[in-house]
Amino acid sequence: MKAVGARLPRYDGIAHVTGRTQYVDDVRVHGTLWCKALRSPHHSALILSIDTTKARAVPGVHAIVTHEDVPHNVYGHLEGLGVPADEPLLAEGDVRWKGQPIAAVAAVSEEVAQAAVDAIEVVYEEREPILDIRTAADPDAGEHFHQWGPIYPHFGPHNHRRVRKGDVEAAFDAADLIVEGVYRPQAIEHCPLETQVSLVVPEPSGRLTIYSCTQAMYFSMGVVAAHLEWPLNKLKFVGGTVGGGFGGKVDTATETICALLAIQAHRPVKWRFTREEEFLTSSTRAPWHIEIRDAVTSDGWILGRRMLTLHDAGGYARFSPYGLTKHAFHHTGAYTIPNLRFDGFVLFTNRVPTTAMRGFGVTSVSLATELHLSRVAEQLGIDPLELRLKNANRVGDTTGNRVVMHDPSTVPVTLAAAEAVGYELGEDYRAMTSERRGGDLLPEHLVAQQAPDGEHLATYRAATTNGGAS
Amino acid sequence: MRLTVNGTEHEVVAPPLTTLLAVLREELFVTSPKAGCQQGGCGACTVLVDGEPRRACLIPLAAVEGAAIATVEGLGEADELSGVQAAFHEHYAAQCGFCTSGFMMAAQALVDRGDAVAREDVIEALNGHLCRCTGYVKIVDAVTAAVTQNAGSPA
Repeated sequence: MKAVGARLPRYDGIAHVTGRTQYVDDVRVHGTLWCKALRSPHHSALILSIDTTKARAVPGVHAIVTHEDVPHNVYGHLEGLGVPADEPLLAEGDVRWKGQPIAAVAAVSEEVAQAAVDAIEVVYEEREPILDIRTAADPDAGEHFHQWGPIYPHFGPHNHRRVRKGDVEAAFDAADLIVEGVYRPQAIEHCPLETQVSLVVPEPSGRLTIYSCTQAMYFSMGVVAAHLEWPLNKLKFVGGTVGGGFGGKVDTATETICALLAIQAHRPVKWRFTREEEFLTSSTRAPWHIEIRDAVTSDGWILGRRMLTLHDAGGYARFSPYGLTKHAFHHTGAYTIPNLRFDGFVLFTNRVPTTAMRGFGVTSVSLATELHLSRVAEQLGIDPLELRLKNANRVGDTTGNRVVMHDPSTVPVTLAAAEAVGYELGEDYRAMTSERRGGDLLPEHLVAQQAPDGEHLATYRAATTNGGAS
Repeated sequence: MRLTVNGTEHEVVAPPLTTLLAVLREELFVTSPKAGCQQGGCGACTVLVDGEPRRACLIPLAAVEGAAIATVEGLGEADELSGVQAAFHEHYAAQCGFCTSGFMMAAQALVDRGDAVAREDVIEALNGHLCRCTGYVKIVDAVTAAVTQNAGSPA
C-alpha cells in the first residue's frame, strides 16, 4: 500500500514534459505512405458499382483496397460471445451511415492520396435514411436496411434485454402515485486531442509491425488478425501511448485498412484522421431514449419500476448489446426496488455506429434514474436525498439481477456528499448506515427480497475466494 | 529558407507555403508540437516565434523565415527540467500528454514576460488551448506556480 496517499510521479511524466513521449504520429519510418479513405456521402444507399481505374492512374498511388481485397470482410466485435458478425471493414453492396469507408488509398502524400480518393467512381442508389430510434421499428417504416431488421435480435432467446423480478402488476396496483419520466441522453464525440492514427510497417520477416493508438491492444490485434485471416504471431503491436481515448479508441478504426494497404504496397502506411474525420466519422457515445414509470407510496417508498430503453447502435452492432446489458444491470441505480419489468432494445439507424465511452450504458441509466428519483421526490414533496437514503441498497438486499448486497455504499456516500456540500438532513437520516434492514426501514414490500441473514457473507465468500469453484 | 529552432540554425527545403508545423515535424523531426486539429483550434501545436506563442499549424514557412522558433525540446532535459517543465510534472498537469507541449509553450511565454500575474491572467493566457483529460485545474495550478516562482526570484 505504498502508493495510497503518496504523491508518486507519473511513470510517463518526465517524457511528457520534455516532449519526448513518442505518440504514433511521432514515429518516423523511411518510405511511409499516407492513407486516405473514400467515405459514403449518403446516410443510406445501395452501391451499384465501384471503379478505381482512374484512381490507380494517379501518379504516386501505391495501393488501393476495396471490400474485394479484404480476406474476411464482415466482422463482429462480439463474435467471441457468439454474436454473429454484421459489419464490413469496407462497404460491400450498400452503405449504412454517412462516412462509412468504401475504399482506401495509399500514396506518397496526403494530397496525392486524397486526389486518388476523389478519382474513385461509385454509383449509388440512395435510400430513405432512418435516423430516429423512436420510429425505427414502426411497422410502416418500410424495408429495413439492416439484414437483421430494425432490432438487434441476439439476446439469447429474445430480441431485447429483459429483467423480470417480483410482481410489478401488484406494485402498480398498490401505488399511491405513479411517476413517469422520459430521458434522452444524446450522442457525444469522444474528441481526444490525438485523432485516430496508426502506422503499419511490413517487415522482411513477413510480419507486420503495427504502431497503434488503441486503448485495447489485444482486442485490436484480434480484429486485425481476423480480417486478414493471419495468425496472431505475425502481428507485432506497438502501443500503450494514447493521446486521449475515452473509449473511442477501443474501436480499431485505422489499423486493419493500413495493414491491407501496407501488404499490397510493400511499404509502411500511415493513416491519421483529420479533425473533421474524427468528428464526422469516428464512433460516438450512443444516444438513448429511456422511459421510466415508478409505482411509489406517499411516504416515499418505490414499490416497483417499469422501464423501456431504446439504444441507438447506428448502422452496425459493434459493442451496443454489451452496453445495453450493463444498462439493464444498473437500471435500479443504487436503490432497492423489489418489483421490476425492464425491456431494452438495441435499434439500428443510419447514424455513425456507437461505441464504448466512459462507462457506456451505465452513464445513461444513472442520468435517467437519478433525474427520475428527483422527480419522484418533487412530486411527493419529499426531500430528494431522504428519498434516496430510504430506498438505498443495504446489506442483504437483492438487486434486479438477484445479486445479494454484501457491502453497498449508497448510504455512506450519500451522507458524505450531503456533508461535503452542507446539505441539511434530518437526524434519523444522518444516523443511517448500510446495515441490514429492520424496523421502519423494512416495510412489507421489501421483506421478500431480503436474503436470509448471513447469506450475503456466503455470497461474498463464494465470489472472492475459490471456495465456489470446483 | 533559414529557420533557427531551439538555437540551432537550419537550412529548410520545404516549399514556402508549407506550414511551420509540417516543417518542424516532418522535415526537422521536432515532434513535440502536435497536429491536434490543424485548424488553429486546439493549441497543441503552439511554439514560440521570436518569443510569442503562435499556432504552428496556421503559419506558412515563408512568414517565419529567419525567425527564432522555440519548442519544448529546447526547454530542459529530463535530469534538468526548466521551471515550467518541473511545475507541469509536479502538479500532474500532463495526463495523456498530447496537449501538454502547447500549454507549456504558452506558459513559457508568460514566464518570460517576468510579471507576477493572477490566476485569472493565467487562465486568460491559456485561452484557446484544449485539454480533454485534466479539466484544466492542474494545468492552471502548474502555470500559476511557474509564473509565481519566476516572478519571485531575482532576474
